[in-house]
Amino acid sequence: MPLLSNLASFLRRLLRRQQTERELDEEVRSHLELLIDEKMKEGMKPAEARRAAQLELGGVEQVKEEVRAVRAGAWLDTLIQDIRFGLRMLRKNPGFTTVAVLTLALGIGANTAIFSVVNAVLLRPLPFRDSGQLMMIWHTPPQKSFPGIPRFVVSPANYLDWRSQNDVFKNMAAVGFAPINVTGTGEPESVLSTKVSADFFSVLQVRPEMGRAFLADDDQPGHGNVVILTNAFWRSHFDADRNVLGKSIRLDDQPYIIIGVMPAEFSFPLQAKLAIPLAWTDKERTVRGNHNLLVIARLKPGVDQQQAQAEMDTISSRLAQQYPADDAGWGAAVVPFHDFVGGSVRAALLLLLGAVVFVLLIACTNVANLTLAKALGRRKEIAIRTVVGASRSRIMRQVLSESVLLSLVGGTLGLLLAQFLVSSIAAFLAPQLPMSVTIGLDGWVLAFTLTISVLTGIGAGLAPSWHLAKANLNASLKQASGKSDSDLSGARSAFVVAEVALSFLLLIGAGLTIRTLYLLRSVNPGFNPHNVLTVPLAVSQTKYASSEQQRAFFDSVLEGVRTIPGVDAAGAVDALPFQGGSTQPVIAEGQPVVPMADQPEVAVRVITPGYLHAMSIPLLQGRGLGEADKVGSPPAILVSEAFANRFWPHDNPIGKHVTLTFSNVSSREVVGIVGDVKINGLDVIQPIEMVYEAMDQNERIPAMVLSVHTSLSPVRLISAVADVVHHVDPEEPVVGAATMDTVLDQSLAKQQLSMTLLGAFAGLALLLAMVGVYGVEAYAVRQQVREIGIRMALGAQRHDIFQLVVGKGLKLTLLGIVIGLVVALEVTRFMISQLYGLSPTDLVTFAGVAILLISVALLACYVPARRATQIDPAEALRYE
Amino acid sequence: MSPQQTNLLQGTLDLVILKALALEQMHGLGISRRIDQMTKGTFRVKPGSLFPALHRMQDAGWLSSTWGESDNNRRAKYYRLTKAGRRQLEAETERWGRISLAIARALEAC
Repeated sequence: MPLLSNLASFLRRLLRRQQTERELDEEVRSHLELLIDEKMKEGMKPAEARRAAQLELGGVEQVKEEVRAVRAGAWLDTLIQDIRFGLRMLRKNPGFTTVAVLTLALGIGANTAIFSVVNAVLLRPLPFRDSGQLMMIWHTPPQKSFPGIPRFVVSPANYLDWRSQNDVFKNMAAVGFAPINVTGTGEPESVLSTKVSADFFSVLQVRPEMGRAFLADDDQPGHGNVVILTNAFWRSHFDADRNVLGKSIRLDDQPYIIIGVMPAEFSFPLQAKLAIPLAWTDKERTVRGNHNLLVIARLKPGVDQQQAQAEMDTISSRLAQQYPADDAGWGAAVVPFHDFVGGSVRAALLLLLGAVVFVLLIACTNVANLTLAKALGRRKEIAIRTVVGASRSRIMRQVLSESVLLSLVGGTLGLLLAQFLVSSIAAFLAPQLPMSVTIGLDGWVLAFTLTISVLTGIGAGLAPSWHLAKANLNASLKQASGKSDSDLSGARSAFVVAEVALSFLLLIGAGLTIRTLYLLRSVNPGFNPHNVLTVPLAVSQTKYASSEQQRAFFDSVLEGVRTIPGVDAAGAVDALPFQGGSTQPVIAEGQPVVPMADQPEVAVRVITPGYLHAMSIPLLQGRGLGEADKVGSPPAILVSEAFANRFWPHDNPIGKHVTLTFSNVSSREVVGIVGDVKINGLDVIQPIEMVYEAMDQNERIPAMVLSVHTSLSPVRLISAVADVVHHVDPEEPVVGAATMDTVLDQSLAKQQLSMTLLGAFAGLALLLAMVGVYGVEAYAVRQQVREIGIRMALGAQRHDIFQLVVGKGLKLTLLGIVIGLVVALEVTRFMISQLYGLSPTDLVTFAGVAILLISVALLACYVPARRATQIDPAEALRYE
Repeated sequence: MSPQQTNLLQGTLDLVILKALALEQMHGLGISRRIDQMTKGTFRVKPGSLFPALHRMQDAGWLSSTWGESDNNRRAKYYRLTKAGRRQLEAETERWGRISLAIARALEAC
C-alpha cells in the first residue's frame, strides 16, 4: 500500500512541481505566523515574538530542505535539480567548460577508439557459430633444423593422417594459398586464391550467400574446376550480377565454373579473393615433407583444447615412428583460431590500450585540477548553500554531478572523435590481419564509453567535491572571495606532479618505440632498397606448361626490361626479402648424411643473372650466377656468408658441393659467396643461411618477382615494364609493382602503427601536462599578487620573482619526473617484445624525455612568471 | 525507504503524530502542541522533524491534508488520518505495546 501511495505522490509532484513547492513554502510560513500569534498571545511584543518564533522554527529554508529530502523519490528529484544546476554552472563558465570538455573528449575518444579495435580483434568472438570450438593446428618443427621457429605449416599427408586418426575433432579442414591469374574479366590480374578441402565450410559453419559450398565430389582430382567468390570479388568483377552462378571464369588459363558467392562479412584466410578445391591427386596426397597448409578444425562438443592437444601429441609421436624420415621431431600445436586472427597484433594493441588509459588518467587529473581551481571561486556560494540547509553529502553530490555531466558531454564528443580515429586505425590494421574483422563502434563499445565517462566524471570530481564539502563554513564566509588556500593549492600541486609522472611514462613508451623504429631503419638489410622497382609476375602453368616455356617467358621479359632507358640492372627472384619464400633441408659437403627430418633447413632462392646486381647484394668471393649456368652445364649454387661460416668455417667454400634434398639435381657446386641479407624482418639479428640457385637450372618457376635497378625514380618505370611484359604476353597481369623501399616499409608497418599512435598519445599527454603546469602556476601568481607586490616593494628584483615562480613549477615537474622514472624502470620491461636494439631502460630515451618534459614545463611557467615580474608594487598593495 | 523499516525513534514519532490526529484534523503547530500536551512536555517536536514526518506519512497514504482557516483566521494546512492511517495507528499501538512490555520485562529480569 505505502509503495503504491508513494509512487502516486511522487508522480503527482513530478507533474505539479511548482505548486508543490509553493504549498510547501506556504505551509512553513503559515506555521511561522501561527507561532508568532501564539507568542504574542503569551504577551510578547511583535518583534520579540517574531524572533522567538524564528528561533523555534529554525529557518524556513532548512525546514523546507528537510521535507524535500524525505519525500518519495527525493533522490531523483535531487538528481534532476543537480543536473539543471550543473548545466547552468557549465553554461556560466564557457571557458572552463570548453577546456574541460575538450580534454575529456580527447581522453575518452582515444580510449574508445583503441577499445573498439581491441574489442573487434581480440575480445569479440569471431562471426562463426560456436567459434570457441574452432582451433588451428600447427606443426611444431624440430628445433635442430628450425631454431627459434615455434610453429610451422602442415604437409598434406600429415593433415590427412591427423584427420583420419583423431577422435577429438568433429572435422578438420586444410587451407593452402597460391596467386592465380584471372583472365577474361577485363585487365588480366593476379589475385591470391585459397585452395581448401571440401569440409572447410562445415568446419567454419559458413555457407555461400548464393549457390553452394564445395562437396566431397569437388575435392577429387579432375573435378576441382569450380570456384567460390568472395562478395567483394563478385561485386568488382561481376557487378554483383545475381545470375553469375554457372558462369565460367578463366583461372591460370583453365575454365572454372562459379558455384557460389560468399556473404559480404565473410573473408577467407589471408583475405584471399576466391576459393577452389584442393582436389589432390593420389601422388599429392602422399607428400609428407613439403609443408604448405593451414589446418583449421572444430572440436567435438565437450572436448577442450588440452584434450585435443594430448590427442595430437599421441598421433604426432606415432607418425614420427612410422615416417621417421619426414616426421621425426615434428609435433603439433592446437591453438584457438581466435589467436590466429588477433595474435600478431595482440602485444601492440595491449600496449596502446595501456597508453590511452594513461592519457585518460592525465585528462581526468587535469579536469580535477581545473574544477578545483574553479572551486576556490565557489566557496562562498557553497557556504551559502550550506547555511540554507544543504547537507555535506548534498554538496558533494552536486559537485560530482557537475563533473559527471562534463564527462558525459566529453564522452559524446569523444565518440565522434573515436569514429574518425577507428576508421583510420582500421585502414592501417586491416592488411596486418590474417582474416578481416569488422572494426567499429558497437553496443559493447558504447557501453564501455558510457562506463569510462561516468567513472572519469566521478574520478575528476571526487577530490574537488570532498574539499568543498569539508570546507570550513565560517572561514569561507569571512574570507574575501578567492584568497589562496594552502590546502587546496597543495592538492593542485599533487595533481600536477601526478600528471607529469604519467606523461613521463607515456613519453618513455613512445620514445622507446620511436628509437626502435629509427634503429630498425638504420639496420643494413644486406641489400640496397633505393632506386629498385619490383614487379611480381606469375605465369599460368597451363599456358606455360613446361619449364622451358616458363624460362623463355621470363628471359624475354628481362631482355626487354634491360633495354628500357634508365635501367642499369634487372633480374628476378622467386621471393623478395620480407615476402616469405622457400625453406628446404640441405646436405652440405663434409656434413654427416642424416635423414631428411634432421637435415638443417636453409632459405633457398631461385634467381636470374642480374638479381644480385639490381639489389646490390655484394659478391664476397668467387663468381655470381651467369648466362652460362644453364640446363646441361654443371649445376652451380651461391651460398651466403652465414651458410659458409656454418658449414665450412675453416675451408674454402668455393668448389664444395651442396645437395638440396627436394631437388632432382643430385648436387650443386658452390661457385660464389654473397653477403647475408635480412629476409625475415629487419629485427631478426641472427644472420640467415641462404643459397641461391639459377632459374635456368631449376625445374619449376611459375612465379618470379622482377627487380629493376634504375638511376631514375623507380615508379616512373612501371608503365614501361608493363609494356614490355604485354609485348611478350598480352594476357599476363602486371599488378602489385612496388619500389623496394615500399616493400621494406611494409615490413615495418606494425612498428610504424604503434609508433604513430603511441607518439600521438604521448604528444597529447605532454600537451595536457603543459596545460596542467600552466594552470597551477598562472593561478598561483594571481593569488599571490599582493605577496609579490610586497616582495618587490621590499626590494626584490624582477629576476628574483621570475625565479620564484619558475622554481616552483620546476620543483613540481622534477618531482613528477622522479616518480615517473621510478615507475618507468619497473614497467617498461613489459615492452621488451616491441623493442629492437635497445634496452627497456635505454638511457638516451630516458634522458631525452626528461629534458623534453623539463623544457615544456619551463615554457609553461614562462608566461605566468613574466606576468609576475610585471606586477606593479603600488597597485598590487591596493589589490584585494 | 519503506515505513516498515523505520527506526525506533522515527517509529515513535510516527505513532505520536498518528495518535495526536486520532480525534480531529489539525495543522502542524496544533499537532506539535497536542503532542506536547499528551506527553506532558516530554516530547517536543521541532518543525524540522515534524514537517518531514508529516510529508513522509502523507506520501505513505496515512494522512491526507486540506487547506483551511485557523482559529485566528490564518490559512493553514490541516492533516487528518486516512483509513490506512487509522489501521497503521492500531498496528503501531499494538507493536509499541509489545515492545514496551518486552523492554519492561527485560529490565525487570536483571
